[in-house]
Amino acid sequence: MNIRPSPRRVAVALALAAFALIGSASHAQEKVIRVGVLMPISGPASYFGVQGKQGIELALEQVNAGAGPAGYKLQVQYEDSACSPLQATNTVKRVLEQFKPHIVIGEECSDASLAIAPILEQAKVPLLNAGSSAVKLTESGYKYVFRIFPTADQQGTMLGRNAFEKLGARTAVLLYEKTNAGVDNADTFEKVFTAAGGKVLARIDFGRDVNDFTPIATRIAALGKVDVLPTFGLEGQTVRLAQALAQARVVRGGGGTAIQLGSIWLPWGFEQKAGPASEGYIRVVQFDPTEKRKMVTDFNAAFRAKFGAAETPTHINAHAYDSILLVAEAVRRGATDSESLRDRFSKMQGVEVTTGRISFDAKGQTSDLSVIHFVETQKDLSWKGMAW
Amino acid sequence: MMARTDQAFMMPPSRWVGYLVALALIVAAPLVLGTPYWRGILVVCAMNVLLALSLNLVLGYTGQLNLGQSAFFAIGAYVSVILVRSHGWNFWLAMVAASAAAGVAGLLLAAFAVRLRGHYLGIASLGFAVITYQVLVNWERVTEGVRGIYGIMPPPPIVLPGLPEISFGNSLALFWLVGGIAFVVYWMLDNLVRSPVGETLRALREDEVSAASLGINGARWKAFAFGLASTIAGLAGCFYPGFVGTLVPDAFNIVESFTMLAMVIVGGMGTMIGPVIGAVVLTFLPELLRSAGELRLMIYGIALTLVVLFMPGGILQLVQIVRTRLAPRADGGGSR
Repeated sequence: MNIRPSPRRVAVALALAAFALIGSASHAQEKVIRVGVLMPISGPASYFGVQGKQGIELALEQVNAGAGPAGYKLQVQYEDSACSPLQATNTVKRVLEQFKPHIVIGEECSDASLAIAPILEQAKVPLLNAGSSAVKLTESGYKYVFRIFPTADQQGTMLGRNAFEKLGARTAVLLYEKTNAGVDNADTFEKVFTAAGGKVLARIDFGRDVNDFTPIATRIAALGKVDVLPTFGLEGQTVRLAQALAQARVVRGGGGTAIQLGSIWLPWGFEQKAGPASEGYIRVVQFDPTEKRKMVTDFNAAFRAKFGAAETPTHINAHAYDSILLVAEAVRRGATDSESLRDRFSKMQGVEVTTGRISFDAKGQTSDLSVIHFVETQKDLSWKGMAW
Repeated sequence: MMARTDQAFMMPPSRWVGYLVALALIVAAPLVLGTPYWRGILVVCAMNVLLALSLNLVLGYTGQLNLGQSAFFAIGAYVSVILVRSHGWNFWLAMVAASAAAGVAGLLLAAFAVRLRGHYLGIASLGFAVITYQVLVNWERVTEGVRGIYGIMPPPPIVLPGLPEISFGNSLALFWLVGGIAFVVYWMLDNLVRSPVGETLRALREDEVSAASLGINGARWKAFAFGLASTIAGLAGCFYPGFVGTLVPDAFNIVESFTMLAMVIVGGMGTMIGPVIGAVVLTFLPELLRSAGELRLMIYGIALTLVVLFMPGGILQLVQIVRTRLAPRADGGGSR
């Protein structure tokens, strides 16, 4: 059969070829890295989810601007895992199945993070965690778990050592919520502080349902001279605890002598909520919005432009923002799928983000302690950086 | 007496059909919802059905306000895991022992509960749940406290001669196991509440004084209901750790008791099928609403409020209303 290429046939063929080319070009533009985000959007820890979402939205706007990192767009799907192991388990299965993420960011609560880690490990999808301090998460041999949040060991060790050496503290009373993270922080502090020669006079734990801290404050007041009060709790309870301790004239904010010490858990704005009771409070912060580093000032400006001039980003905003920046950085370094994301993360050293520099060790834990800063609350409730 | 025994064994065809439909649904559901996520939700649903059925026996049939059902769920979960991990027990044996332990705990609660009624019983049972939670948190040597127990394996595989190994590492087989157990429990309870025992429990629910005048020992029968219900809740608890892989006390806080209560009330308290409907709806609704994003919890809350406000008999009441309206009227009213 002889088919002669008539001009009409050639035109149709050319049109089809052009259509196919345009189609493939537009397909090429749709290169995406899917990021599943598991956060508590409901329940008592929902403020993590709300603030985390702000940080992610801002970071997405920036990294997806123009062609995106290495021509990829980051696509995010949020899911409410409610800080609960069961909900987180169901949610991560849903995300894996329906969204097919290349990477998952979350959860905030240690119990939920520990529940999803083995599922993601089995699915060979990296987990980038920015809010759980339970040591187990990066000490269980997982190859796909990475964490940019200092562990309880890292925070507690520095707190314990500095309390003894820099503050000259010799006695302490440990105050901590009875959770995985609270116990881990208190244990580490006690180990380091007592090894240095300090004495722990009492360990006082409390559940997340405790609202009135007057009995605890009264008990501490009856213990005599206490130098430091390492406190590990969520913001709402710590505000009430600081006020009760001030009322009992235990801490400096109430005319006493004891210094309250705290961990990264407390966000920016804690002092304004606790009021004069927070004077003299020394705590670890991972994000200091008053820092003059360009990355921080740019982040502050962008955050205010998007969410309001009166807003100051918290460490939760910063953690979420940084998580997206790190994913984008891995993509810039050639990551295109879960396996290569894991590979690029495992080689990351000294990557600058708003909270400091991130360097992952062999266990997936950030080992660069530049992310830990100490600040002291002044009389006017401002922060004074400690040169520790 | 003979006639009564015959009645017990000769079920009307409609019940047989109902059982067969239920069995068919249990077999078909994980095949239709064939992804790990939905199969996981089915496993949770089957556990919730067991919990709702157990609470319904105490609340719906015996009229005892029990707000501490999460405690028995927790006892089943913890005892089974501790026996397997710390004492090397076989899971199936541990499951029997854990269910029995929950049952004994239920009888212990009943020893005090039989003296109480209404709100007082509600508060006492709530207190029991709080105490159990505190024991789980503080008895660290045994329960690991808030640090939790991790890396819990699903029930071990079953090997039957001539058949391939049944592994419960996948949620298909796990659902058939838990769903099958829920079916057997339903069948047993369905027969129980239709027997003289069920009539006794209902008599207690309606009026304890009248029941006592008929020679019914209220304390004994209430203890029976508490014991059986807590055994079933403990049985449900045995499957939770293997499914989630972790066990922390927060999974059994008192909010869980209220979720179980909502399942019974929303479905239709004091009926057999009502709590099953409640458990299915309250397990699947939050998942189906996930596409609604942040509106999910608001829609869920409004839906629950509307059911309680306008259908005090639960969803089952709506079904009955619709059935009544659709049925031809016996008085010939339709011809007017």
